[in-house]
Amino acid sequence: MVHVLGVQLPDYQYARFALTAFYGIGHKTAHRLCARLQIHDKCKVRSLTPHQITELAAFLSSPSTSTPIPRFPLATSSYKPPPASTPLAVLKEETKKLSQRAWADPLRNIKIESEARRVVKDNIAHQRMIGSYVGKRHAMGLPVRGQNTQNNARTAKKLNRVDRRG
Amino acid sequence: MQPSLILRSGRSAWKGPYFVAFPNLKEALINNVAIRTQARGCTILPNFVGIRFMVHNGKDYAPVMITQDMVGHKLGEFAHTKKRFTYKMTKNK
Repeated sequence: MVHVLGVQLPDYQYARFALTAFYGIGHKTAHRLCARLQIHDKCKVRSLTPHQITELAAFLSSPSTSTPIPRFPLATSSYKPPPASTPLAVLKEETKKLSQRAWADPLRNIKIESEARRVVKDNIAHQRMIGSYVGKRHAMGLPVRGQNTQNNARTAKKLNRVDRRG
Repeated sequence: MQPSLILRSGRSAWKGPYFVAFPNLKEALINNVAIRTQARGCTILPNFVGIRFMVHNGKDYAPVMITQDMVGHKLGEFAHTKKRFTYKMTKNK
């Protein structure tokens, strides 16, 4: 067992699937995370190096303040190369500009565990406050999106409430 | 803009919000008269804030007071169409 930020990652699982143990990380984010930290697709949790584990913990504790990764974008089809006589300093400047082009890092704004839970809670509280149907159904502990309630509706009865836990 | 970006952000991004033009919007705001409407699917726009609506719920018109937080929702979300079941003892047996 490896503990990262209070979450147990099972030893026998592939790292990219074990990461989904975090609330707020699914398969896609986990895959991206592994790519970012250079963890191999077939790497199991037990074979993670201590360095990788600390790196993982450091990234997940504050994704928004992690060091941005360098980008080397490919030229677009409309790119016209500068003439051969351009001095090297100008070329370097241009490459720098290209790599600094606005890019929304998908891992920058991920929210995990209590932060992700708070987002869910806030959304429900907002619906409840403005008095919409969605908020009302949450308060009643019933399905929100028109599912049948004659029988069952077990998931909604278990989960739906204004102060939702999971 | 790249077409893939539009596609990725969902159908409503290129389709735009659905809303109904209320001709009496201005006077409703000044005179504080409620607007009676059956357009439950109408998106609440920022200029609706402060206006009272009477939204049809299938049977009668439910009063809805528009606040800032409701912007972006639909009018019908605030006029509930279902009553909670309550058992009433039958009088004539």
